[in-house]
Amino acid sequence: MSAPAYSHRLLAPPVVGLGALILFFLAVEALIRGGVINRFIVPPPSEIIASFERVIVEEDILNRFLLTATECLTAGVMLTVCGVTGGVLMQRYQLLQRACETWVAAMASAPIVLMYPLFMVIFGRSAWTIIMIGFIAALPPVILKTIEGISGTRRVLINVGRSFNLTPRQLFWKIQFPAALPTIFVGIRLGLIFALINVVGVEFLINFGGLGQLINELAERYDLAGTYAAICFVILVSVLFFMSLEKAERWLRPVD
Amino acid sequence: MAATGRLRQKTAPAWPSSAVTMVRIAIVLVALLTWEGLARSGWLYRDVVPSLIAIGRAVIDLLSSGEYYFNLGVTAGEIGVALTLGGLSGLVVGIALGANRYLSKAFESYLYYLGPTPKIIFFPIMIMWFGVGPGSKIALGTLSCFFPIALSVAAGMRQIDKVLIRVGKSFQANTAQMVTKIYLPAMRHPIINGVRIGFGVALIGTLLAETKLSNKGIGYMIIQAYAIFDMPRMYAMLIVLFVLAIGVNALIGRFGGLDTIKHR
Amino acid sequence: MSATGKPMEGREANPADAILVADDIVVRFETPEGPVIAVDNISLTVAAGEFLSVIGPSGCGKSTLFNVIGGLLSNHQGRVTVAGETISGPHKSIGMVFQEESTFPWRTVLDNVAFPLELVGMPKAQRGERARHFIALVGLDGFENRYPGELSGGMRQRVSLARTLASEPKILLMDEPFAALDEQTRLLLGDKVLQIQQQLKQTTLLITHNITEAVQMSDRVLVMTYRPGKVKRVVDIKLPRPRTSEVVGSDLFGRYVAQIWSDLREEASRGMRDEEAHALQEPPS
Repeated sequence: MSAPAYSHRLLAPPVVGLGALILFFLAVEALIRGGVINRFIVPPPSEIIASFERVIVEEDILNRFLLTATECLTAGVMLTVCGVTGGVLMQRYQLLQRACETWVAAMASAPIVLMYPLFMVIFGRSAWTIIMIGFIAALPPVILKTIEGISGTRRVLINVGRSFNLTPRQLFWKIQFPAALPTIFVGIRLGLIFALINVVGVEFLINFGGLGQLINELAERYDLAGTYAAICFVILVSVLFFMSLEKAERWLRPVD
Repeated sequence: MAATGRLRQKTAPAWPSSAVTMVRIAIVLVALLTWEGLARSGWLYRDVVPSLIAIGRAVIDLLSSGEYYFNLGVTAGEIGVALTLGGLSGLVVGIALGANRYLSKAFESYLYYLGPTPKIIFFPIMIMWFGVGPGSKIALGTLSCFFPIALSVAAGMRQIDKVLIRVGKSFQANTAQMVTKIYLPAMRHPIINGVRIGFGVALIGTLLAETKLSNKGIGYMIIQAYAIFDMPRMYAMLIVLFVLAIGVNALIGRFGGLDTIKHR
Repeated sequence: MSATGKPMEGREANPADAILVADDIVVRFETPEGPVIAVDNISLTVAAGEFLSVIGPSGCGKSTLFNVIGGLLSNHQGRVTVAGETISGPHKSIGMVFQEESTFPWRTVLDNVAFPLELVGMPKAQRGERARHFIALVGLDGFENRYPGELSGGMRQRVSLARTLASEPKILLMDEPFAALDEQTRLLLGDKVLQIQQQLKQTTLLITHNITEAVQMSDRVLVMTYRPGKVKRVVDIKLPRPRTSEVVGSDLFGRYVAQIWSDLREEASRGMRDEEAHALQEPPS
């Protein structure tokens, strides 16, 4: 398929996409001011933007962000360490793998976060509830991708190792594990994203923590514009986090 | 071995399935015994780890109560509607993006980057727009499952063998015919996978919304049990929920005929 | 050449000079269709400094033979000895170069080539120096700090070759190392390998399906039959070295190629008929 030549730079797709979005918001603004959309349900975009500053300053956004970030980081470190170790062990002991792999896969699609009331009973309405749910919900993809990466080492690379008479341990550390790293990082990226989603979600649900809790609080105060603004902010953080993870993964994979 | 060899070696299975089953049974037994041990030790606060017998009783009570089935029906209904709305809109958007390179470049990245975000935080807005009844839960479920389905379908569209599309066009099929006779059948895999993921996130979205603000549904029952500290009941509900979720997931996969597709 | 002008048939290398001896190798595989003999009583010897090619049609078992000699396949009858010592696994005197992409994508060219030196515990500075020597030998100087992902297929094969050469094996064992490359790269690399082999007086055993390559590079060519693989003929290549393009274009060269082709054609046809029969047996999908 040949690349379509755009007669006008202005019609380049990303520009049109952004343009369409802006037009949409202008239309919403107009409809609200015109009274077609009830401004007590949907505040005008201009008001939302205006309350950004207020929310950032008054609600101590920086500390909240740091709190959420710390929760994510803790969960992230835990899931990396436990996930990769778990995956390595499972791949190494084939019997264990065959017994447990389908369970881990089932866990991956299980709605762990729904157990948050249970975690609250165990850990209280605290950061640990948030961290533990983030950790457990995000663990399966890391384990599965680690197993996939190590098992998927290309046959010829293993043969190279054997042709040099490597011991099984050398074979693992010098060939299988490095070869598996790109896939393992994909797993960690997936895990980190799940962790963030669950951390913010649980913060909102149990009304504790950083950014998620902020949204809850603003909603309970009926600060409409503030709630919308806070939601936008959290979405922004989430998107940026996702993008930087992608960049990091691409950087760690110079060879593909 | 070089690609020339057409010998297919019979690889010896490393572990007999009986050994695998034994390990699984062993793990489950150890887990159950540890649990019961903890329950009876009295170490942890009262009912945080209730005895297996209590949980078992609670499960039976649950499954034989009309109240449970009523709430299950409410939740299932919400999820069903959410999946339908989210599924149809996701399908339409996915086909549009997948079929049209320009639209894809303009808008798909928004879907891609907005997909992995916590949707539950939109719940206050949903309540404002749709009230405190099932409407807001359905809305949240729809929002949750729209993204993975749209992205899955868009990717699926691009993976359709181009020659099939040319065949359709050469017979002058109109859009509706192209969609129903070529796109959809060719995309069975990605659609089913998208629906699977969609079901998962719709389930989560709807249930979490119910735990936050509702007076009906499974989520409501769970948070109720928490509020009165009826732990065996909460465990029972979670267990049944998980079993159902995994079951439905498997059913969707089976329904999609995934295991009947032969691979060359 | 004999008086009739026909190329002489080869004889086995004098056992006294032989550095690699494979004795009555038989390899049997269990397949879903029943037991299959991949290699049927193959014996060969390679003298020190000699270049032997093993050529055969697809499916003749030559890669199996490669794995047996390399010590990667121990489920066989018969034995392989290197300088009199029977091998029981990959032997340190045998260096293997594989057909597929085998560079480590996470290591630079220098670290790839230094890999065998790392394994024997050579200190870092010394490793670097030796590795650079072999990198230069294959003509990749300047690329030491690049990653394989940045190189072309031909260059990556050169890195694999340098890595194997860095372990200074007595015998270089190569399994169709140029098969995945385009014709021109293959010819250039072939020249390079020949050059290196002459320079190092490297004993080499090359598995290939390319007749011209075999005749150009070898002292002797062993022709295999289709599965079960046996020795069909050993041809002594009495062409002068260096094998310049003149030599390659000569009549004698052409006659060697023609003779080997007539042997191979029979076997290749058998192979094709066998595959067709197999395809007919498979249930329609």
